[in-house]
Amino acid sequence: MNLFRSGDHARRWSGYTPATDAGIVTLAQLASIMGTPRHRDRYTGQYVSSFPGYGAPFFDNLKRVTANDPFWDPTPR
Amino acid sequence: MPSELDRTYHFIITSWAERGDPPHFTDIARAFGVSPDAGRRRLHDLMAVGLPNWLFPGTDLIASFAPFHALPSSYRITVDGRTGWYAQCGFESISASFAFPGRTIAIETTCLDCGEPLRIAVREGQIESEDPRGIVGYVDVPTREWRANLPYT
Repeated sequence: MNLFRSGDHARRWSGYTPATDAGIVTLAQLASIMGTPRHRDRYTGQYVSSFPGYGAPFFDNLKRVTANDPFWDPTPR
Repeated sequence: MPSELDRTYHFIITSWAERGDPPHFTDIARAFGVSPDAGRRRLHDLMAVGLPNWLFPGTDLIASFAPFHALPSSYRITVDGRTGWYAQCGFESISASFAFPGRTIAIETTCLDCGEPLRIAVREGQIESEDPRGIVGYVDVPTREWRANLPYT
């Protein structure tokens, strides 16, 4: 997961693959994706035992932020 | 009541945030008043849980422990003028801000396409500034494949 100056720069990168274009997100989207309790609560002291409860909010938010794009769907095919 | 895994996790992540580098298993042992072998066991037990953390292959040394990375990645973090932290990846560089409550962190990296510097200021998950404007994140691993590709993702 890397950062680029813009979407155009990401698409020009040698490691870019067109089939994964949906993997480009804005910084605001990125901050939302990485801002749920799954990331925020790492310092609370009970993170490991609480971890099973973090999945659903994280993936619900991920789907919302990425407009349900299949690329971001965690469900195995 | 925090479990042993909770306490080991908390020690590792908070000491890394404070010190800027990962603890050795002997540090874990000392922190909990147990033998070095018991500290090593605690480390391996935690790594076996399956969180986005891993050891250098074939060793007892922490390589990565989200959001931090032990090797110099391209995501350098500065807090109050102090450097020394590296983020596991571009995405985790944003979440690293939660390790420093009430403070603004500076993420310095380089665009892999053009080589120009990128700088982002984040405070507890909120983007305060970006230079230049329009920075994006890119991951080419679909979410369903993240777990099988953690170091690459």
